[in-house]
Amino acid sequence: MKHNILNLIVVFGLLIFSSGCSEENLLDLSPINNISIDAAFSTPSLIESSVNGMYNAAAMGQYNSTTFNNGRGYVWGAAFVQQGDNRGEDVVNTATFYQLTYTNTYDPTTANNVYYWVDGYRLINRANLVIEGVTKAVADGVISEEVGNDYIGQAKFLRAITHFEMVCHFARPYDDTSNGTHEGIPYREIGVNTQSDVDTESAKGRNTVGEVYEKALADLNDAENLITNTTFGKATKNAAIAFKTRINLHKRDWASVISEGKKLEGDYSLEANPGTVFSSPTNNQESIFSIAHTAVLNPGVNAALASQYKRRLLVCISPIIWRDAEWLVDDKRRYDNDSDPTSMVFTSSGRKYTNKYKDNVNYTDPAPVIRYAEVLLNMAEAYARTGDAPNGLFYLNQVRNRSLADAGTQAYTDFPSNKDLVGAILKERRIEFLMEGRRWSDIHRLQNDDLWPISGVPAKVANGNPKADDFILGTPYDGPLGVAALAKTDNKVIWPIPQIELDANPSLKQNPGYN
Amino acid sequence: MLFSYTGFSTKELLLGSTNELNATLSEGLLVDEVVVVGYGQQRKSDATSAISSVNGSNIAGLVAPNAMSQLAGRAAGVQITTQSGILGESPRIRIRGIASVNSGTDPLIVVDGIPIYSTNVGGYASTSGLGDINSNDIESYEILKDGAATAIYGSRGANGVILITTKKGTKGTAKVSLNSVFGIANPIKTFDLLKTADFLTISNEKRTNRGQAAWAVGSDYDTDWQGAVLNSNALQMDHSLSVSGGTDLTNYYLSFNYTGQDGIAKDNSMKRFGISTNIEQKITKRITLGGGIKYNQTSYDGLNVGRNSLSGNIFNAIRQLPNTPIYNPDHPTGYNMSTNNTVVGQWDNTDPVGDNISNIVYVLDHNTYQSTVKRMMGNISAKVDLFRGVTYKFQAGIDNPNTDGFLYWNPIHGDGSSTKGRLQNSFENNFRWNIQHILDYNKLVGEKHSFGITGVAEYQKEKYSFIESIGTDLLNEFYNQVTVSNAYSVQQSGGGASENGLISYLGRLNYNYDQRYYAQLSLRRDGISKLSPDTRWNNFLGYSLGWNVANEGFWDGIRDVVSFLKLRYSFAAVGNTDIGNYPYLGLTGASPYNAGNGIGFSQFGNDLLTWETSNKTDFGIDMRLLKDKMKVTLDYFINDIDNLIFSQPLPSSLGIPFNRITKNIGKSLNKGFEAEIQYDVISNNAFNWTVGANVTFAKNKIVALPNDGADIIGGSSSDVNIQPNIIIREGESMNSLYGIEYWGVNPSNGNPVYVKGDGTLVQGNVTDSKYYKFDPANPTVLGEASSLSTATDRKILGNTLPTYFGGFSSNMDYKSFDLKFLVRFSGGNKIFNATRRDQMNQNLNNNSTEILGRWQSVENPGDGVTPILWASSNTFVNLTSVATTRFVEDGDFISLDNISLGYTLPVRLTKKVNIRNCRVFVQGQNMLIITKYKGLNPEMETFGVDLNGTPRSKIFSFGLNIGL
Repeated sequence: MKHNILNLIVVFGLLIFSSGCSEENLLDLSPINNISIDAAFSTPSLIESSVNGMYNAAAMGQYNSTTFNNGRGYVWGAAFVQQGDNRGEDVVNTATFYQLTYTNTYDPTTANNVYYWVDGYRLINRANLVIEGVTKAVADGVISEEVGNDYIGQAKFLRAITHFEMVCHFARPYDDTSNGTHEGIPYREIGVNTQSDVDTESAKGRNTVGEVYEKALADLNDAENLITNTTFGKATKNAAIAFKTRINLHKRDWASVISEGKKLEGDYSLEANPGTVFSSPTNNQESIFSIAHTAVLNPGVNAALASQYKRRLLVCISPIIWRDAEWLVDDKRRYDNDSDPTSMVFTSSGRKYTNKYKDNVNYTDPAPVIRYAEVLLNMAEAYARTGDAPNGLFYLNQVRNRSLADAGTQAYTDFPSNKDLVGAILKERRIEFLMEGRRWSDIHRLQNDDLWPISGVPAKVANGNPKADDFILGTPYDGPLGVAALAKTDNKVIWPIPQIELDANPSLKQNPGYN
Repeated sequence: MLFSYTGFSTKELLLGSTNELNATLSEGLLVDEVVVVGYGQQRKSDATSAISSVNGSNIAGLVAPNAMSQLAGRAAGVQITTQSGILGESPRIRIRGIASVNSGTDPLIVVDGIPIYSTNVGGYASTSGLGDINSNDIESYEILKDGAATAIYGSRGANGVILITTKKGTKGTAKVSLNSVFGIANPIKTFDLLKTADFLTISNEKRTNRGQAAWAVGSDYDTDWQGAVLNSNALQMDHSLSVSGGTDLTNYYLSFNYTGQDGIAKDNSMKRFGISTNIEQKITKRITLGGGIKYNQTSYDGLNVGRNSLSGNIFNAIRQLPNTPIYNPDHPTGYNMSTNNTVVGQWDNTDPVGDNISNIVYVLDHNTYQSTVKRMMGNISAKVDLFRGVTYKFQAGIDNPNTDGFLYWNPIHGDGSSTKGRLQNSFENNFRWNIQHILDYNKLVGEKHSFGITGVAEYQKEKYSFIESIGTDLLNEFYNQVTVSNAYSVQQSGGGASENGLISYLGRLNYNYDQRYYAQLSLRRDGISKLSPDTRWNNFLGYSLGWNVANEGFWDGIRDVVSFLKLRYSFAAVGNTDIGNYPYLGLTGASPYNAGNGIGFSQFGNDLLTWETSNKTDFGIDMRLLKDKMKVTLDYFINDIDNLIFSQPLPSSLGIPFNRITKNIGKSLNKGFEAEIQYDVISNNAFNWTVGANVTFAKNKIVALPNDGADIIGGSSSDVNIQPNIIIREGESMNSLYGIEYWGVNPSNGNPVYVKGDGTLVQGNVTDSKYYKFDPANPTVLGEASSLSTATDRKILGNTLPTYFGGFSSNMDYKSFDLKFLVRFSGGNKIFNATRRDQMNQNLNNNSTEILGRWQSVENPGDGVTPILWASSNTFVNLTSVATTRFVEDGDFISLDNISLGYTLPVRLTKKVNIRNCRVFVQGQNMLIITKYKGLNPEMETFGVDLNGTPRSKIFSFGLNIGL
């Protein structure tokens, strides 16, 4: 009896314990946290999410993180500002953070240039997957063609501007050869998510710079025609047009700069106070395309603009531009007042820092990718360079006069020559877009300029904290320049292709001079 | 029950059903031992596989946050490295080298038959999964090393297996045992940092050399910032009370234990309460039921130990300016910090401190990192004698660590100042169950043919889940003990889950003829959820042969000298399941933007992915000599790893997630020789002395890599501070150091000089941060412009895996005294001492005294290694982006790991108070190390890189063992 009961208990126990031991329960398991890539475009809501995921790549990137999406704002969330500034002479890198960029001591393994490339292409692939996924979803009737076109237009916009941004860092300027027939970067138009995609895309080498420009402009034309979105933080039809003025300026296609710029007149206007663009960054008349950040989704303490430029004081304004005589001492863009949100600079230990990025707690400042003032100055330059001085002056003054203490007496009225007018426009760009990442772009495109060539990379104030005295206005800065200029022929004028790319991709060759 | 230190023990063991063996291990090792093997036990003399055994008593009583770390040096082929002094971090365990590149490299740890979680189990302070087992409860450790031994664990055996058997009761009256030890821990070594006087000289020379004004001013203070982040005389204690006993039908073991340790790092501590039980009841003649439960609550306090974090304890402390104070009564917080609270206060210096570091003392005083592990491990078993020679055993077990995490960052200063404070709570649940059905049959046919057959069906599943709440932008620093609803403006939550399962069927056949010729065959068929349905099932074959030469007739004459001699050969294929949960699938992950939900490509799929397998071959000899006084084991092993699961780097311009695709490509090879010797030097009533020694010589080679053998820079590391310094290259040892060869200093101008790939020299000209050719015969001339290329000028700087290691131990009893010690050694590896490079910082930061050897002038060229000082030019002067031989050092060392002296009170004395046994002891751990390594300790490396680790501890302790 006792034995039987025991046997019963044992059998009962075995049944309980063995009940979960089926192959179905143990081996046929599916991910709990992740939706399959094959389902990413299967419903309207998932498609919309995939489009947002593309913007996530633009805003966050991954940098060197092993955590998905946990990047440092490469390319469009923060890095284009920080790298674009630190490659130029109008800021001073005060600590180690951007030192390799600032002192031109990068190599093919330096994180800044490596992740510009890596995260740039990461965004491009998400855009290409959106284009392919949406195209198929439209064909399958999952979403309407109208909705699909809007998404495709936005994807083409991001694809275009990201390739263009990268070609300005990793390749010589467009006019190094006529029609840019020299080596650019690969222009990726296929979404890579299968081994056969890997095989075919890996085999493609670089496009020429001219081809990159041509494809980017074509994508932007498509974007202009397809996009219906108007929400802040996402690509719009006008953003595509605005970007065409930038690319055509680099291409020195002055007529196109003007004709594209004309399309935007009436849609945008300059804020009366230059500080409003940054005190109301998501709600002003001037911002055309910005990347949005929230308190829970931003490039974080090691990258967010307000973290690096404000809270941590990692980069200050350079005395070179701060003391430039053409930047009038009472210009509103020097407005320094802790208690006023429209204040444009602030002072710490006598050094001047930008106050364009304000939220140094939650890092919600958007990254300003392109705004109307740039379109106006692009047009001013195009007019001036084509001999239309009155229009050149007109567009220049639109931007400059709002910042003058007394436009009535301080406004430019005329210039001795067109060259001087162009010079004033170029200087105005440095002042207006100070610490918005635009400086590198101008250095790059003006390498072969007929009027104001910038030969190589200009000399800069030494890395480290400048003395407070260096910021005293009255005379141009004539102190030491601790970072020597790079000659125009120096290989470091453009960034090297990352070593990790070359290691895995025999189709690409390193930029000359980097071995 | 066992308290004595000399290995005296009595145990009753069942071998099959008919073959009951009562082995009284009167003097330790020399009687025919029984070893625990996979899913069973075996007589050591019958084993045809490579297994090392360590008696639990050798480790009980040592002060350590986890028992496993103290296995170091005790068994050949087993390498255990404690890489830092942080309590809660798991030691690195390698059995016969590294068996994988991208997959897991930790051995399987099996406690009483149940595979347990052995790595971090969650929370915000490090929580080693090995930290929850009290060493006093452990009877023995068996380390399965070769294919024959691990084949039985099939898919999980690639990295070796460590079997832990906990104590059980033995027949007799109840025995009570109390073990207590109190220890005082101190850093094994501290850094030689500059004091204020030298600091001022060095700092200002950095500036004056480049024509800038002095920035270091003021000598009112000489602050020891390093001392401010480290504890001295940290109290560490361990108490354990056990009761055990048994009858013919029942045996039981019950223990309570408490461990409390303060760490070497300030703010680091652990507390553990545990209960452990084992009970076994013979219900009928044929049925035995057993089971045990272990419950622990282990709490850890931790801190930021980031190697490159501004508030990482060592990163920060070594950079602090000695001429600045820790406290400032005039600051609202009372601490010395800048007026905007972003960095530590510069005091009289003209510039803010370099590298934007915080006041680390404020941070340690205010920030909190906690983990509390509540862990249940339990198993039940039923054993039934079915009929003659056939037994059935059922075993089921769980391991269930639940971890609460809490993190608080103060809003005013330190890591939390960036978000105006941070509060996080997490809850993590790991649950694993494992069920085994084991059928055993043993049969002696005739006099000499002995058969054993084992069949096993095993099922395992585990699930991990976590939830997390995060608040930033705190209402007030008042809220610092838990996340309180709405006490912060930015609210985030997170969570997730993952699971995996395993089914396996196993058969093992043993045969021996006359205890002379042995053969064993095992076949295992495993299915795992981690691979696609087409590839998830795999077969693992293992076999071994043995010849017990000493049992041959012709050996008769020699037996007095060599009493036992067995030759072994084994081969087995084993797998690695530590490959992530769904490596074959193409996946997306949540990727929101602005306020909208989003998904993005997160993992590139490869449904052809299949098992990573190791083919392990072993040749071994077991010997006993000199009337069993000496025991020798020799092994030669080859571990050939094929189908390595590799995340193959793809061109980053394709933009796929992580730029990697997981594939089965790549081969690697470990081979080596190992020897273990134990010798009973003296054994009589008054004096017993046993010595043991083991040594291993091992080599690793990468045989084949993907992309036509393209280098993998960054190696196996996922740490961006380690990656630039290591490489995986065909033909080289895994994760070798990779970088630039340093030549020295240009005696005429102090520039650092490097050797290019082609052997020519270049100098890094500090004045313009550019490279120029260098001619030693003509040093004053700045040659033509040159470069230092990461593509062509880097080379292998050394292997990071020790090529030899071992230990020497001695246990001595003389009358009432016992003395034992363990000496351990290791070497043949190189270490890139990046901590040293950090201490050569050219910003306004402190330095180590090494910098005093810098080049100052032609007349005063310094040590020839340290270049001219050049302010704010750290990345160039010290070439911080890659490793250089300037900071590469040998990792060889000899260490006196522990030494203890005990005294057992005379029984006539203790008997009067009814105490059966009373022993007191003093011991020292890590008291002496002999090495040329300039860092704190040559074992404080990760993938061969030493970067800002917390010093390991040396511990002096005294203790008490009482038996009733």
